Amino acid sequence: MTGKRRDPRAERQARLIAGGERKRFALGAVPQPAGRPRRDPRSLRRAATVPGGVRPRIDWHGGARMAARPGPDARPQSQPEIRITADPAFLVLAVADHPGGALSEHDRETIGAARSLADAGGGAVAVLTSGTVEGLAEAGADRVLSVPAGHIGDYDPEARTAAVLAAIDLLKPRHVLFPESAEGGADLARRVAALSGERLFGGVASLSADAASRRMRGGAMEMAAAPPRLMSIAENAFAAHDGVRHEARALDAPAFAPVRRIGTVTPLAIEAGTLSLADADFILSGGNGVTDWAAFAELGRVLGATLGGSRVVCDEGHLPRDRQVGASGSLVTARCYLAFGIAGAPQHLQGITEVRHVVAINTDLHAEMIKRADLAIIADAQAVMPALVAHAKERRDA
Amino acid sequence: MPSVAVLLSVGRHPASGRARRAPLDARALEMAFSLPNAAVHAIHAGNPDEPALRDYLGMGMERLTVLSIPRDGDPVPALTAHLEQLSPDMVLCGSRAEGGEDSGMVPYLIAHALGYAMVADIAAVSASAATATLTQALPRGRRRLIETGLPVVATVNTAAPAPRQSSFGRARRGVIDILAADAPPDTLADQCEIRPWRPRPKRMRLAAAASAADRLKAMTETRSGEGAVMIQPSPEEAARAIYAYLVEKRIIGDGS
Ligand SMILES: Cc1cc2nc3c(=O)[nH]c(=O)nc-3n(C[C@H](O)[C@H](O)[C@H](O)COP(=O)(O)OP(=O)(O)OC[C@H]3O[C@@H](n4cnc5c(N)ncnc54)[C@H](O)[C@@H]3O)c2cc1C
Ligand SMILES: Nc1ncnc2c1ncn2[C@@H]1O[C@H](COP(=O)(O)O)[C@@H](O)[C@H]1O
Repeated sequence: MTGKRRDPRAERQARLIAGGERKRFALGAVPQPAGRPRRDPRSLRRAATVPGGVRPRIDWHGGARMAARPGPDARPQSQPEIRITADPAFLVLAVADHPGGALSEHDRETIGAARSLADAGGGAVAVLTSGTVEGLAEAGADRVLSVPAGHIGDYDPEARTAAVLAAIDLLKPRHVLFPESAEGGADLARRVAALSGERLFGGVASLSADAASRRMRGGAMEMAAAPPRLMSIAENAFAAHDGVRHEARALDAPAFAPVRRIGTVTPLAIEAGTLSLADADFILSGGNGVTDWAAFAELGRVLGATLGGSRVVCDEGHLPRDRQVGASGSLVTARCYLAFGIAGAPQHLQGITEVRHVVAINTDLHAEMIKRADLAIIADAQAVMPALVAHAKERRDA
Repeated sequence: MPSVAVLLSVGRHPASGRARRAPLDARALEMAFSLPNAAVHAIHAGNPDEPALRDYLGMGMERLTVLSIPRDGDPVPALTAHLEQLSPDMVLCGSRAEGGEDSGMVPYLIAHALGYAMVADIAAVSASAATATLTQALPRGRRRLIETGLPVVATVNTAAPAPRQSSFGRARRGVIDILAADAPPDTLADQCEIRPWRPRPKRMRLAAAASAADRLKAMTETRSGEGAVMIQPSPEEAARAIYAYLVEKRIIGDGS
């Protein structure tokens, strides 16, 4: 009467589920792989581990996958990905400011906002420019309407208005977006609205396919409605399109005839000395290494730069307090920062994070400012300043 | 003697919400005062009993014309009709109001309706018999000189000289002339949802860096430069290098 002897090991082995890195046994019925996918923490963790490096490093934000992916430079240049919208359901027209012939960040944001409207309903983005402008495909333009540059020179709002109205007539866009900028976009949007008799929704701060909102009553209130036809886009409210290139196919520009009332226009020279630091485009800055303040002021005059300084020099009264650059002074957005005798304390460097080109003159090769500089010169500020004044004068006279 | 009309709206203090003179409109009035022997007409369309209007009188005017319109009326037709009668050489406005819809459309609609030239964002003005010379203020301290024929509508922005104080005695003595006007109701507000402004988080430009560590670095650390270094050059060499760099990056124009 001996029953069959059980072999627990063999039974267990029979229930072992093949595959997977952890041993798993089917208890009861053999589990079906179908149904809700199981989360596998181990493989997630493996995917999040940054390859290379001595210490294991884990990046839960998808950084490890991005690192594993070849960077944009490594991608084969022969076949850049281009998204083509051949037959759009509707058009969104974005009017670019492009001051100086290049797209501004605000232009990119406006095109980005236009993209979000177009992408929500299978539409396409058309961009109106004057003359050829670089980088429209990267900015997200499907169509480009370029009016001859001669028509819309540096400042000719009446011709621009006529061009926008002609483009609206030609394309019949569902929405027209302008940058709400002092470079001319805000002015242009209002001219177009007044001439076409449509309401402008100015300074839109948030936008989706079914609602747009803007500030009113001195900024205290907000009004929201379905996106109207004419809108201008507030600065810093939208992300620029970054990702796939779009087609940027050129369309034939319409003809237009402006009504002219404005006469001659002359650009004036900038009075750099009276500008506030936040407005300045080129700053000459002095630190504790400067002792010859007469030469410093003279250099500012000759180069046409706005003067600034570190906290130490403002504390000592060499420059007024409103000329202090840094965390407790002004955050500057100048294109160029020429720094004499500044060590580059973190509080100072925080003030110049937005600066594109930095030139530093310092006697100390290991100063932080030298590391930040695009052109660093290890020399005595008191010797370089007069030499630079003389050189600039010589070049001007030559 | 040019005649200048200044359009004045009622502002709103950003913190307390109380009615006040609108700062940009006060600048426009100040600019009108700066024109030598100009006849200044100050005009408001709205409620003539608004106490904040006296702040403008306190800046040194004897009279202020108020076109009396209902609260939710559109001021543009009333202002246009009045200006048509007055036919001033120049109309000065603020570039944006601060108590209502703040669309900045009023000057453009008036210029369009009257067929006047329109120039935005001016910081200074001078006028002769037939032309006006306007200095337009642009970002980064740039300025543009614009010459136009008269009449012209111009808007004033913050680059214009600050307005003078309002004196209490003059504000009391000034006279408000009330003219009846009719205004069609503005229907846009009915079609919109109006709610208090809720500050939104500031959008940050995230660097598309390879790893979290790199992104953190990009957010918190200062950028380091290209790092061309010249060690102990002679002052003349250094000056030449700096000047060449500034010219190359188009910071300064090359003199020659
Ligand atoms: C809360 C707080 C907030 C602050 N906020 C600010 C701020 O907003 N802005 C700011 O600037 N600072 C600020 N500081 C001060 C900051 O930490 C530094 O002390 C200051 O920036 C240093 O100024 P400096 O580089 O001019 O002087 P120093 O540190 O004295 O550096 C002088 C530099 O000049 C060089 N030098 C000397 N002689 C010569 C010469 N003949 N030719 C050329 N180079 C020479 C030296 O090598 C040195 O690198 C703040 C500090 C604190 C604690
Ligand atoms: N009710 C009004 N009465 C007189 N002027 C006004 C009125 N509303 C607006 N303005 C003028 O038009 C400018 C722009 O206003 P807005 O278009 O409402 O932003 C203001 O700065 C004023 O100069």
